[in-house]
Amino acid sequence: MPYHEFECSKCIPERKKHAVVKGPGETLADALPAGYLNTIPGSISERGCAYCGAKHVIGTPMKDVIHLSHGPVGCTYDTWQTKRYISDNDNFQLKHTFASDMKEKHVVFGAEKMLKQNIIEAFKAFPNMKRMSIYQTCASALIGDDIHAVAAEVMEEMPDVDIFVCNSPGFRGPSQSGGHHTICIAWFKEKVGTVEPKITSDYVINYVGEYNIQGDQHVMDDFFKRMGVQVLSTFTGNGSYDELRSMHRAHLNVLECARSSEYLCNELRVKYGIPRLDIDGFGFEPLSLSLRKVGLFFGIEDRAQKIIDEETARWKPELDWYKARLTGKKVCLWPGGSKLWHWAHVIHEEFGVEVVSVYTKFGHQGDMEKGISRVEEGALAIDDPNELEGMEALETLKPDIIFTGKRPGEVAKKVRVPYLNAHAYHNGPWKGFEGWVRFARDIYNGIFSPMHKLAFLDISKDEIPTDKGFETARMISDVNLSEEIRSSTTLREYTGKFDCVGEILKKTDYPNFEPEPVGAL
Amino acid sequence: MADTMKSKMEQLLDYIMKHCLWQFHSRAWDRKDQNEGILSRTTQLLCGEPIKLETPADRCYWVDAQCLADVYKERFTWINEMPKDEIKQLMKELHERLDYLTITGSLNLELTDQHY
Repeated sequence: MPYHEFECSKCIPERKKHAVVKGPGETLADALPAGYLNTIPGSISERGCAYCGAKHVIGTPMKDVIHLSHGPVGCTYDTWQTKRYISDNDNFQLKHTFASDMKEKHVVFGAEKMLKQNIIEAFKAFPNMKRMSIYQTCASALIGDDIHAVAAEVMEEMPDVDIFVCNSPGFRGPSQSGGHHTICIAWFKEKVGTVEPKITSDYVINYVGEYNIQGDQHVMDDFFKRMGVQVLSTFTGNGSYDELRSMHRAHLNVLECARSSEYLCNELRVKYGIPRLDIDGFGFEPLSLSLRKVGLFFGIEDRAQKIIDEETARWKPELDWYKARLTGKKVCLWPGGSKLWHWAHVIHEEFGVEVVSVYTKFGHQGDMEKGISRVEEGALAIDDPNELEGMEALETLKPDIIFTGKRPGEVAKKVRVPYLNAHAYHNGPWKGFEGWVRFARDIYNGIFSPMHKLAFLDISKDEIPTDKGFETARMISDVNLSEEIRSSTTLREYTGKFDCVGEILKKTDYPNFEPEPVGAL
Repeated sequence: MADTMKSKMEQLLDYIMKHCLWQFHSRAWDRKDQNEGILSRTTQLLCGEPIKLETPADRCYWVDAQCLADVYKERFTWINEMPKDEIKQLMKELHERLDYLTITGSLNLELTDQHY
């Protein structure tokens, strides 16, 4: 695999070690992009900071918690307008954001007193919330405020509250990934094992590395409930603070996003002997295999198979409708971390698209190993790209669509490349069988939007066709399809509801399985 | 013969690299344990030998091994006709190659980073 040098980055020679092309017959032992290194000065990275990784990615999806940033108010920017990790308690964690609002005077004179007032004020303003997490920022870290001491004082004065402190200022690591690591270890050391849970099933899991983007967790939780598996805690999407304190009582850790939270699973494995099972929740085949694995672990694989059969029968004809129309379309898969490898192979196999490039903003070399293994030959793999490299790749690879974050996504739109939001989704959830079809629908709508086609016309120089009427996506997508596919009576477009999560949240009719005899497992 | 075995081993390897995640844990020692734990049990399953499931960790290895063995039998039907000694030889070569790609020949500098 030859390293790839971007024309625009020739003035930053270190960048050459951060991109490779997967060549024919070559292996991971031939070349691997450098990763998880400090961004090179002069390279305008698309990364976030370690505070952002700790709070806005991992911490804040916890639903029954006052999340308070000890720092300037700007550090709390990411909330309901940028994040989509919903919850079943009216999205408290998205609707309300808290900061101690540090100013210059606090930097000079210290901000501990002010922080204590803020904590008490927040608890009084929301008397039903008895749990809080406090996140250190660059400002409070540099002046050395002892947040743990302040939190301990408040907990002594208010015995019914519990506070978690995360010391992950923005500079603690090269990217948001440093924050993922810090908060996982802090949560494990400070909180796991401090609450004893109520066990309601013979089969108990922690679902780790799942952030409930647009309801992903609700979808997976539904599958587990249909199998009779108790999800003791979800780290952290729609997760409850006290449930996450009781993680030590699970029988199995089911790990989805290993990039952000493998650290926690590894610690739980060492200290409590809870094994770690890595799964893929995206795509029909990987998800089916994942459910089957959880079923096998507990000896209830028949329950998993029943779900797989039902869901596949319901949704496969719709998946195949989109596959017939997306086959051969070129995709740049440019997410933050784990979706690089969660999606790399399965969007090719199940949507028929060609992945011409993968990149990761904050992934480590291990993520590149997984991603490069899964993409087809010829794909360009880039670590921590800068904006100009992204533009150059778009010009040379000419993708039909890219899956990325909203910052590079909006840049891509300017050069007429449609994008889907890989972090927060467009019309999610994208997990689950139905969710995977919704993802296919979003890709279809992105590529074949008539509006997008019109965007290619430059009214200052192009001739504007006046002899053609309005076009639909279907007219564009079906133009080269065979009659057999166009008029198929088995394939069909997505038929689910606008909101496919609401019904799940209302469900109560889960099967009541008889407990297994003692010693059966 | 050697070429045929190599080609078969590559098919098995390609499936693991494309569809599995267990071989990519973040530490070298962990990858060694994973590869050994899962491939040794996969070999036992393919050879029809009994497997001990005494601990939760054993069971977790077995889950991945069972799924891998099932896929191998379904996708690579030639494995169903193979004599046991040949399966063992094939899986031994697969194990060595996987260890090379993910551990000894891996360019991932984090695998042995003491500060990880």
